[in-house]
Amino acid sequence: MSDRKLALVTGAGKGIGAACARALADAGFRVAVHYRSSAGAAEELAAKLPDAFALRADLAVPAEIDALVAELKERAGRVDVLVNNAGFNVNGLTAAMKLEQYDAVAAMARGTWYLTKLVLRRFMLRQEAGRIVNITSVVGSTGNPGQVPYTMVKAALDAFTKSLAQELAGRPILVNSVAPGFIDTDMTEELPEAVREALLARIPLRRMGTPEEVAEVVAWLASSARYVHGSVIHVNGGLYGG
Amino acid sequence: MSKEELFAKVVEILTPYAKNRAALAAVTPETHILDELEVNSARLVDVVLAFEDQFDIEIADEDVDAVETVADCVALIQQKLP
Repeated sequence: MSDRKLALVTGAGKGIGAACARALADAGFRVAVHYRSSAGAAEELAAKLPDAFALRADLAVPAEIDALVAELKERAGRVDVLVNNAGFNVNGLTAAMKLEQYDAVAAMARGTWYLTKLVLRRFMLRQEAGRIVNITSVVGSTGNPGQVPYTMVKAALDAFTKSLAQELAGRPILVNSVAPGFIDTDMTEELPEAVREALLARIPLRRMGTPEEVAEVVAWLASSARYVHGSVIHVNGGLYGG
Repeated sequence: MSKEELFAKVVEILTPYAKNRAALAAVTPETHILDELEVNSARLVDVVLAFEDQFDIEIADEDVDAVETVADCVALIQQKLP
């Protein structure tokens, strides 16, 4: 097992995940940059971070999660930080949404649970240490029209954080959620201008956040925080306080 | 490793988790891990990890479902050993 602590960030090819990977590398972690479809971006990012490596898995497929964990065991022999960032969204009104679209979004909750279970089982329980950070969303708390499955998954992941924190009682493994508000990423770039303007009017800081502003909270939870456990930390410029 | 040695090693691993010390003192292959040794079910995962580490084996979740007694542990480990 390497002496250097390893952080696995899922969905780290771009956006908030990539910012988390960079922030964790800055904090001294060796980073495993997970991706599903952003191979080029993930490989490029990994090449820039010291000793980092990229690895692919579709988190909707349990066998691919098994293989991902086996690869981590082989290449690093440890996982000290797990950032469950990977997500998937299909916008649409409930009455018009197809079951397959719901399933594709909901699969992320299942995949996150399964990956976390394996990381606990294979690494963190043995190491008797660990930090798990689930990247959720303000809309998991507030709701959002046109995003019913996505908001359900994000709310479920906040509940996952709280339940798992209680389940890990007596063990030095901390679990928290970071719930970003509206952050400048590919996902929010798709918003129509009018929707964007209306959103900004609701944010007391009058601007969207940056992926780096989310990542600095994640890095703090992963490296410095010691008494924050089972919490949902909102990073949203004042849009919602919890 | 003989079956007797394996039994002794399994008992040694279970010892810190067994709340019923009297049952532990009188342990036999038929002793039930949860009901008699009173190992906390939340700590079963630690027992499994200790088995894996001590014997350098991997135990699947499905295998754990079938384990009730000390003899079940011995049989499972024997089956996994190369």
